[in-house]
Amino acid sequence: MTLKYIITQLVTLAILGGIMGLVAWVKIPRATPPLDEAEVKRRLAEDFPQTPLDQIWLALDGAGAVARSDDLALLLFRMGDSYVSRSMAWSQALQAQAIKGRFWFRFNDFAAPKASLALAPDWTRAAMGETI
Amino acid sequence: MAAPSAPAIDPVTLAVPFFILAIVLEILLARLGKVKAVYEAKDTATSLLMGFGSGIAGLLTGGVVFAASVWVYKYHLFDIPMSAAWAWLAIFLLEDFTYYWFHRLSHERRFWWAAHVNHHTSQHYNLATALRQTWTGATAGTWALWLPLSLLGFPPAMIAIQKGISLVYQFWIHTEAVRRLPVWVEALFNTPSHHRVHHARNPRYLDSNYAGILIIWDRMFGTFVPEIDEEPCRYGVVKNLGDFNILRVAFHEWVGIFSDLLTAKSLREASGYLFGAPGWSPDGSRQTSTMLKAQWADMQTAEPVKTDPAAAS
Ligand SMILES: [Zn+2]
Ligand SMILES: [Zn+2]
Repeated sequence: MTLKYIITQLVTLAILGGIMGLVAWVKIPRATPPLDEAEVKRRLAEDFPQTPLDQIWLALDGAGAVARSDDLALLLFRMGDSYVSRSMAWSQALQAQAIKGRFWFRFNDFAAPKASLALAPDWTRAAMGETI
Repeated sequence: MAAPSAPAIDPVTLAVPFFILAIVLEILLARLGKVKAVYEAKDTATSLLMGFGSGIAGLLTGGVVFAASVWVYKYHLFDIPMSAAWAWLAIFLLEDFTYYWFHRLSHERRFWWAAHVNHHTSQHYNLATALRQTWTGATAGTWALWLPLSLLGFPPAMIAIQKGISLVYQFWIHTEAVRRLPVWVEALFNTPSHHRVHHARNPRYLDSNYAGILIIWDRMFGTFVPEIDEEPCRYGVVKNLGDFNILRVAFHEWVGIFSDLLTAKSLREASGYLFGAPGWSPDGSRQTSTMLKAQWADMQTAEPVKTDPAAAS
């Protein structure tokens, strides 16, 4: 590994840093208006087709939602200007830990190990009381 | 005949300044509202750092890959001169044909998908996405697919240059700024439209358009799917990643394979997890793209296609 190579790499990194700064500065991501029920339904229908939803709980900041489908919990959460979804057992979703106003869901999946949603503080109680 | 040597020119290295300029231009033109392009800060940083890391990984493994090509060339069947125009036409076609099968294998079998998936992890499609390149390509061994070209008699440097040209070509098609090109171009070449489809996770578009430079291979082997304006591409993978961590981008599928292998109860299960289609599971509880496409096709016959303009997010 020559000095020339190392310098070239450092210059490349600096230029890439410049591009990252430019992107942060110009602000051209997708719009992320707060989710409403219709939008949650539309997005979950894309990722979980033919899965009827019994009930939807929107995050208070509009950046995600939990939906119940029988014994499954479907989760939708924002990542940057995009959304990610995962499913887990409904009983497991009820175990989500509430820390500082956010519920933490842990998936058995290295590709998306966890998600947090700003659900209403009494979400677990409301969700447990919900009847199908 | 002189001993085969490393290529005198590396198209990819030469093209780096062009890559950078093109990305900056796309960002600025999008900001001015002149072209369609969407950039998210963390997503872009992940793509650029994956590209940077891929360069380092390529440097570490490139020597071994090139040495293998040189070793096979010792037994070459024909003398193919690097100075002949016909030889360049031949390597162009044969390399592109090889690329098609490399790319198809990289999507249809999980071991090779693990090395390629990172390129598809962005939910965006812009010139920076093009740089989201693999760190583990050499480990997956797909470079062996190019060895028959050395055996035929193409000098290793010539193959390396053509591989570089293909990679450089494929950079500029990662854009939403170009909608459609003239019909004859769309018929012959891999274009932004065709490659958008390749990056889409809509069931209709899964496992299609594996082309490098020429789209003719997809048309010949039945994997061509045109972009339909009524169904905008939703980019990413079937199960998108939960964060922007570059180590997760680079290694998540390898970790997935490893943890599945730990649970395998038979050799059949182990080989399914390794070499089955991505999404394969012993009990069918997960979904492969074939299953997703079949489910989607069923839904289409059950209900007519609904187009939702709001889906164009
Ligand atoms: Zn691909
Ligand atoms: Zn691509």
